[in-house]
Amino acid sequence: MSQRPWKVVEERRAYWSMVCPAVILYVFVFAFPIIISIVISLSNYAGGKMFGGEAWWITGFQQYIKLARDPYFWLALKNNVYIVLISVFGQLPLGLIFAYLIYRRIVRFGEFWQGILYMPAIISVIVIGIMWNIIFSPYGLIAELVNRSYAAAFSRQVERIFSEAGGFQITDEVVKRLIAAGGPTATHIFADPVAELKALLSHYSPDQFAVLKQDLVNLLARKWSPAFLAKRDVAMLPILFVVLWMWTGMYLILFLANMQRIDSGIVEAARIDGASEGQIIWRIMLPMLSGVVVNAAILCIAGSLNSFELVFAMTGGGPARVTQLLSIYMYDRAFMGAPDYPLANAIALAIVIFSLILIMLTKVVERRYGGRE
Amino acid sequence: MKKATAILAVLLLLSAAIVFAGGQGGGGTMAEPTVLTVLYYIDATQAGYAEDQAIWAKFSAENPDIKIQKEELFDEAFHQKVAAYVAAGNLPDVMFMWPSGRSTALHEKKLVKDLTPLLGREFLSNFVPAAVDPANQKSKFLAELPQSVTYTTVMYSNTKLLKDNGLAEPKAYSDLKAMVPKLRAKGVQTVLMANKDTWVMQSCLFSTITGRLLGDAWIDSVKAGRANFSDKAFVDALGFVDTMYKDGVISRDTIQLAYGEGPALFAENKSAFLVDGDWRQGAFLTDSSTGVALIDPQRQKNDFSFLNFPAIPGEKNPGIVSAIVGVGFGISSSVPAGSAKEEAAVRWMKYYYSPEVQKIKLETGAYIPSRKGITSDKVEPFTQKMPLYYASINKTCYVLDGVLDVDVYTPLNNGLQEMGLGSKNPTQVAADVQKAIEAWRAKQ
Repeated sequence: MSQRPWKVVEERRAYWSMVCPAVILYVFVFAFPIIISIVISLSNYAGGKMFGGEAWWITGFQQYIKLARDPYFWLALKNNVYIVLISVFGQLPLGLIFAYLIYRRIVRFGEFWQGILYMPAIISVIVIGIMWNIIFSPYGLIAELVNRSYAAAFSRQVERIFSEAGGFQITDEVVKRLIAAGGPTATHIFADPVAELKALLSHYSPDQFAVLKQDLVNLLARKWSPAFLAKRDVAMLPILFVVLWMWTGMYLILFLANMQRIDSGIVEAARIDGASEGQIIWRIMLPMLSGVVVNAAILCIAGSLNSFELVFAMTGGGPARVTQLLSIYMYDRAFMGAPDYPLANAIALAIVIFSLILIMLTKVVERRYGGRE
Repeated sequence: MKKATAILAVLLLLSAAIVFAGGQGGGGTMAEPTVLTVLYYIDATQAGYAEDQAIWAKFSAENPDIKIQKEELFDEAFHQKVAAYVAAGNLPDVMFMWPSGRSTALHEKKLVKDLTPLLGREFLSNFVPAAVDPANQKSKFLAELPQSVTYTTVMYSNTKLLKDNGLAEPKAYSDLKAMVPKLRAKGVQTVLMANKDTWVMQSCLFSTITGRLLGDAWIDSVKAGRANFSDKAFVDALGFVDTMYKDGVISRDTIQLAYGEGPALFAENKSAFLVDGDWRQGAFLTDSSTGVALIDPQRQKNDFSFLNFPAIPGEKNPGIVSAIVGVGFGISSSVPAGSAKEEAAVRWMKYYYSPEVQKIKLETGAYIPSRKGITSDKVEPFTQKMPLYYASINKTCYVLDGVLDVDVYTPLNNGLQEMGLGSKNPTQVAADVQKAIEAWRAKQ
C-alpha cells in the first residue's frame, strides 16, 4: 500500500517524459505556425520582423470580409470543389472498380494493369503538368491530330468542288461553295468573303492547283482549337481529367490491398448463392471496406484542397484566373507583386476550415451509411 | 545515474574542446574576408551563362578580401524567394531587383538603400539619364541601378517571309490586317504573342497602344482622379486589342502559348511578326557553350528586322513606344552604413557596372547597357540592330505595370486575357479596372 503513491508518481513521470517530446514537436511544428497564421490573418502585418520591426496591430475580420466579397475567391473555391468532386466521386469509385476487376480476376494480366494504372502516381507532378500542358496546347498532339483529319477532309471537298465545276474555274459559285465547306475563318478575316477570296484565288494559275488546294486548306479548313478549354466553364476539364488519370491508380492499390484481406470464402459463398458481381461490390465489398473508403476520402479531400503543383505547372491558374485554386490564389497574394500577408493567411485558413467541414461531412456519411469491417 | 552524469560530463568537455579549437583556428593573422550575400536572377540554361559565371569568378579572384555567397534563381522561384526574405525581414546584402512591379515591396518598405550617395554622382554620370533618374523607380530614389533601359514593345519582323509572300513591312494597322489572308493561306500567323502569362499583352503591346491613343498625361489624370478608366478613350484602347483578335491579326490560340514558346515558333517561320520586349532578342542568339542559335547570325542579318508597331487608327501620339528602366542590383538597407560590408557591396556594384563587364553583357546579348559608350564588334546582328531600333523611336510612354498599383494592373492584365478568350468585352474590362483604381484611391 505504501508504495502506491510512489508508483503513481513514477507512472506519471514516465507518461510525461514519453509524451512531452511529441507534444513539444507538435506545438512548434504544427500548432505554432497555425496560431501565427490566425494572428496574421486578423492583423495588418505587412512583412518584415514581427517583433521589433514595423508596427502592426490586430484589425479584426477585415480580411475575411474582403475574401467573402472577392469574386476570385469564390471562383477558386468553386474550382477546388470541382477537384474534390472528381477525386471523391471519380478516383474512389474507379479505383474501387478497377481493384475489384483485378481482385476477382475478371480482367487478365491484373498485375500489368495494376502497374500501368499506378505509374502516373510515381511520376513527378510537375513533369505530368508540363506534359499534359503540351498535349492540350494549340500546337500539341491533340490539336495536330484533329487538324490533320480536318485538313484531309477539306482537301477532298476542294477537289470535289473543282471537279464538279468542270475543272479550275474561279467563279462566284465555286467560291461560295468553298466558303460554305470551310470553317468560320472567311467571315472573320474578309469583310466581303466572296469578292475578297475570289480576288485572292485569281492569282493562281491552273498548273498551281496543288498549291492552291494546300493554301485553301490553310486558309479555310476548320481548325480544332483548344481555346474553348480556356473558357471559364470548361477550363477545369483538362485538369480534372489529369487529376483522375493521375491518382486513380493510388486508390486502386489501396483498395486492392484491403480486398485481399477479406476472406475469399465470403465472396465465393455469395457467388454460390447467386449474387451478381454488382451485388458483391455493393453488398459485401463496400460495407467491409467502408473504413478504408472513408480514410481514402479524407486523403482525397486533403489532397484536393492542397493541390497546387499540378495546376500551377499546367495552367498557372490562368488564363485570366479561370483555373485558379485556393492554394494558387494564396500563393498569388503572398508572393506576387505587393504581398498581402494577412489576406494570404486568411485564404490559408479558409482552406483549413473548408477541409475540416468536408472531412466532418465524410465522417457523418460513414457513420450513417457505413458498414462494419 | 552516475553513468549518465559521466556521459554528460564527457559530452560537455568534448563540446567545449571543439568550440575552443574552432576559436583558435579563426584567430590567425589573416583577416577574415567580408562575406557578401547576393541574390541573383539568371537562367542557367540561357546563352551567356558561362560568360556570366566568369564575371563573378574574376571579381572573387581580384578581391580576396570579399567572399561572395551567391544564390541564383530564375523566374517565379526568384520572386518567391524575395517575398520569403521580405516576410522574414532577412534580405541578402545585394540583390537583383526591378524598378517597380515585382519589386514593389522592396521599394515601398525602403528595404534597399539609395545608391546615389553610395556610388557617387561621378560614377552615375556614366549612365544614360533615364537610368539614373529616381523618378523612374517606385521608391522615387535610386533603389537599383538599371543595367539597361527597356523598350517593352518591339515588332520582330521576318522580312524574308514577307518578301516570299509578296508583302511589304506594314506602315499602318490596315496593312497588317490586309496581310492576314495571304499569310494564313501559307499556314503562317500574322502577329505572334506568347499571351499565356497575363503581363505579356499589357507590357508588350497594350502599354504602347495606351501611350499612342491616350498618352502619359491621361494616365496621370486617372491616378489623380481627374479621368476614369471607364471613359470612352480607354474603352477604345481596349477595343483595339479586341479588334486585333477579331481581325485574326493575333490568334486567340496565343492565350495558351507559354512565354518560353514564342521565340522558337517565330524562328521556325510560324509567324511573320513577333511582338515582345527588347530583351527577347537574347533568346535568338548563339549559345557559346553549344554553338547553337535559334536564328543563326546569317539569318539574323539578312532575314529579320525590328520595327515599330504600325500606326493605330485614331492615335494622338504617333510612333510612341512603352519603355521603362530595366532591372539591376540594389543594396539591402540592413547593411550598416560605413561598414566593411557596405564598402564590399559598393565595390561589387562598381565592378559589375564597369565598362569591361557591361561589354561582356552586350556581347552575350544579355541587354543593351545603360552605361554610355559600350560598343563591341563581336555582337551578333540582332544585338547590333537593337540600338538602331531605339534610335528610330522618338518618344517613349509608360509601361502600365510600372506606374499603376498591382491591385489596379492585375484586373487589367486579366481583362486583356478575358477579351482574348471572348469572355469579356472592352467596356466590362474598363469597368473592372475603374473599380480597382477607385478602391486603390480610397486606400491612399
